Amino acid sequence: MVNTIDPRNIPGISEASVSVEIETEDMTLNIGPQHPSTHGVLRLVAKVDGEKVYNVEPVLGYMHRGYEKLAEVRTYPQITTLVNRIDWVAGFSNEIPFIAGAERLMEIEVPERAKQIRLILTEMARICSHFVFNGAYALEVGALTPIFYAMEDRERVLDLIESVTGGRFHPNFNRIGGVKPAAGSGPTTKKNIQDLPAGFYRDTKLAMEKVIEAADKFQNLIGGNEVFHKRTKNVGILPKETAEAFGVSGPILRASGVKSDLRTQTDYLPYDKFDFDIPVGENGDCYDRWDVRTKEMVESAKIVLQAIDDMPSGPLQAKVPKVIKVPAGRTYVRAENPKGEMGYYIVSEGGLGPYRLKVRTASFSNVSILPVMLEGALLPDLIAIMGSLDFVLGDVDR
Amino acid sequence: MEEFLNQLKEDFDEVSYEFETISIKVNVENWISSHELLRDKFDLKYFSWLSAIDWDNEVSVGDAPKEEVTPSFEIVTCLSSVDNSNLITISTTIAKDESVIPSLVGVYVGANWHEREAFEMFGIDFEGHPNLTKLYLPDGYEGNPMLKSFELISREVKPWPGDVDVEGMPEDSEGDDS
Repeated sequence: MVNTIDPRNIPGISEASVSVEIETEDMTLNIGPQHPSTHGVLRLVAKVDGEKVYNVEPVLGYMHRGYEKLAEVRTYPQITTLVNRIDWVAGFSNEIPFIAGAERLMEIEVPERAKQIRLILTEMARICSHFVFNGAYALEVGALTPIFYAMEDRERVLDLIESVTGGRFHPNFNRIGGVKPAAGSGPTTKKNIQDLPAGFYRDTKLAMEKVIEAADKFQNLIGGNEVFHKRTKNVGILPKETAEAFGVSGPILRASGVKSDLRTQTDYLPYDKFDFDIPVGENGDCYDRWDVRTKEMVESAKIVLQAIDDMPSGPLQAKVPKVIKVPAGRTYVRAENPKGEMGYYIVSEGGLGPYRLKVRTASFSNVSILPVMLEGALLPDLIAIMGSLDFVLGDVDR
Repeated sequence: MEEFLNQLKEDFDEVSYEFETISIKVNVENWISSHELLRDKFDLKYFSWLSAIDWDNEVSVGDAPKEEVTPSFEIVTCLSSVDNSNLITISTTIAKDESVIPSLVGVYVGANWHEREAFEMFGIDFEGHPNLTKLYLPDGYEGNPMLKSFELISREVKPWPGDVDVEGMPEDSEGDDS
């Protein structure tokens, strides 16, 4: 007969095991660079104490392509192909501030119609970017379904961009002084000025109504989900003052309660002609950031609907010299891109290309706040916070 | 805008307004104090970006400046306000052989990464920066890629314009554009 001692019968042991302080050793956790939630190749080195993150160091450079250097050996018209690839989710928006900067230095007045086509397409790019965010963010916090809806709905808008520009992601559609003659609208001759493709207004109207419907659907599907609320509400709160000092912009800044939108504050495109709201958050948490972007989709769709109703007629191109030389000078042009403030500081010495081109991207400043936001956060919240910043690595590294 | 410009002129000697961009030039001794003044008095609390320009007559990429310049670094920062459209760029010039400048991290925390980028790309030393290490470039990388003297390998290997690019300009007979 073997005597066995049941530990449960030893007096006091069950209490003892509970009251013992559990000490964990600090651990370094490497996230990325090849991780689906890093939107490219961002690497985070997190130091964790149990479930608590107490230090995060983002490691950049896996996507650095040196566009600022490459721009120095290219002519102005060639640079638009480069800048398309900075934030590839909304390629069209990247061209706008660069082209506007070159036009400002050359003192070219862009025709109204060209400006409005730019405005329509840049708003469509914003819708695409927010669709991707809605799908991807839901996926990151554990909901698989929304990304299928998001991708399907985005395709309609991408088709429209493609029908005008000929490209889905990298349109390269802007020219100094206006826009390229639209794709699919007949042969290029000077006498027969090409314009938007046939049926564009009708298709746009349908697609934009679908966008408003889709945003509504996401408000129910994602915003009405209790798990999503639990994962995002009061998680990753970003105070207004911190956001300002770090240069955080776009929907993230607005979610922190700052009503700042370069579309109304500056005049790079004729936004003053249209009625639209600027959605603002209250708490600056992950939920607000999602909410602001989803509401922005509706506002963008409203802008596009107003714009196609009120299209000015006229040429697509201002008169520009055949060889584009930008006079000496320097200017900074910024625009409200889907991810925030994007700007180009052009230093021209009067040559065919810029002497120096500084590219200010939104995601770079937005990601620089990660160490501050993640300090003291729980490990499961790390992905929720990171995803809510909606960055793209091409936009961080350039 | 006019009013803002006049207010700036009271405090700064070199203020210019060209191509819808306000540029202020300051001496390197006043670099920190100017930023503090702009942040507190002019309410420019939003730190947009910081970068540098390498001014040199001998360049290995692109075109050299039209006029003779003293080889130097120009450090530029951009500040704005989230409440209105006020925006300024402020710059200072430092010598190339002694490229040291006080760090702005104490004034704007957001300058941290921008200064690290300028440090690795231009080799500028930001005095007092809490963590002045490489941001993008891998460990062991030598050289500062954004310097005008730094050669662009792809252009060395395949000079520009290449065979594909030597197409003639569009026919002149077609239009009357200048």
